[in-house]
Amino acid sequence: MYLAAAVDNNSTDILAVANSPFLWACAIGVFPVIIIHSVIYMKAAQIAAPHIGMTHQEIKTSCRAGAISALGPSLAVVMVAVALLTVFGTPAVLVRIGLIGSVSYETAAAAIAANSAGAELGGPTYTQADFGLALAAMTLGGAMWMIATLILTPLLKRGDSALRKVNPAIMLVVPGATMVGAFMVLGLGELPRSWIHVIAFGSSALIMTVLMIIAKRVDRPWIKEWALGIAIILSLVITHLATRA
Amino acid sequence: MPESTQIHDALGAFDKTTSHWGRITMIIGLFFSLAAPAYLVFFSGLDIELSGIFAAFAALAAVFGVIWIVEPLTYYPILGASSMYQAFMIGNISNKLLPAAMIAQSTIGVKPGTRKGELASVAAICGAAAVHLTSLFIFVGLLGTWLVSVIPADIVQTVQLYILPTVMGAVLIQAIVSQKSPRAAVIALVVSLIVVFVLSPLSPKMALFSTAIAVISTAVLAWVLRDRQKTDVAERAEEETPPEGPVY
Repeated sequence: MYLAAAVDNNSTDILAVANSPFLWACAIGVFPVIIIHSVIYMKAAQIAAPHIGMTHQEIKTSCRAGAISALGPSLAVVMVAVALLTVFGTPAVLVRIGLIGSVSYETAAAAIAANSAGAELGGPTYTQADFGLALAAMTLGGAMWMIATLILTPLLKRGDSALRKVNPAIMLVVPGATMVGAFMVLGLGELPRSWIHVIAFGSSALIMTVLMIIAKRVDRPWIKEWALGIAIILSLVITHLATRA
Repeated sequence: MPESTQIHDALGAFDKTTSHWGRITMIIGLFFSLAAPAYLVFFSGLDIELSGIFAAFAALAAVFGVIWIVEPLTYYPILGASSMYQAFMIGNISNKLLPAAMIAQSTIGVKPGTRKGELASVAAICGAAAVHLTSLFIFVGLLGTWLVSVIPADIVQTVQLYILPTVMGAVLIQAIVSQKSPRAAVIALVVSLIVVFVLSPLSPKMALFSTAIAVISTAVLAWVLRDRQKTDVAERAEEETPPEGPVY
């Protein structure tokens, strides 16, 4: 195995493993799949459009509108993704954060996996083996969304009534509480580690709060889009200054 | 051939193509994403115990299991069957794909939930995917990797050590704001404080399950202590509207 030289369970040089050629190949492999998928969908839409009174021009306009509106959010995702490169390496970030998953779930999943092994994500004891475990758990977690989609979509299409009878009050309360609960306990769990962790968590939460208030006051949706990236980068700067104080 | 049959056939062909190829491409995407950790676990020479992965997965399922099911159910009526495969493979649905679909629909003046709206959102998501793939490849794949290689080691170390609390601080506030349920936020805060500062220090074994315990307790308490007036109204409103079939 050509990786052998770089592989060491106890090494904290996780990028040696995380940026290995095989992981790059898997990440790059997802790109053409999505491109082919998009081409097939676009063609199918073009063929169906005239039959329901839509012009090809309208389909093209929709495509362009989607592309333009994705510019801001895509660059906002890029900003967060770059901040995570040192913890997960480029291939995992491209697939897990950029495609398929999202920042919040994937980072939470990796942290939960590391905790279950008694390790600390990104911490001084974050080894190559811990990275492997975190990536496996993130991927399996992400796969569950895809599997749920593959199973549920045909059922929903048939208008399966059992699925529609899920108590709407539960749907309103439980998922939201789950999300807030997960991010709350993972966030607060960082506080006892050191006073710098407190600064990192506190400054990031504070900056986000300020950005949310500003976004509401001046009614500028782009602030909400960029808030996560801005909060993470600014609080990393503050945290870095704190480590030198 | 009568016009209605022709429309029906054309849309039938569209549904067939998108669900057939949507599923195939999604399964291939799934395969590529699973191949990376499978290689690390089985072939790289790293000692990663399968039992450890099962434990991590169990902890994840306890935390996110409900969301795995609920999210596809929630997005289906908005996205329609054809866009489901597209959206869940490309990711970043709520912050990128839904806005793209809505903007496209309003640009050409069609309503969501109609077949025209569905075609517009399929095209919009294709456009969004093209921009997203390009920007990820250039700014993360090429420039990002280069950036990490040139920034000083002490900064890289700060980022590695403190990225988790930084991400969680911001994401937590975002989740609280988007959920608009202060009650659930307070419950989560109290439960998490007890778990982190009282239960976890008691025994190191507790730490392994702390996330799951906190999340399940928060969900149960948020349900038991819910604002009944608000949620019961939602429940009644839902009961009055007949279940919708596929939108044609």
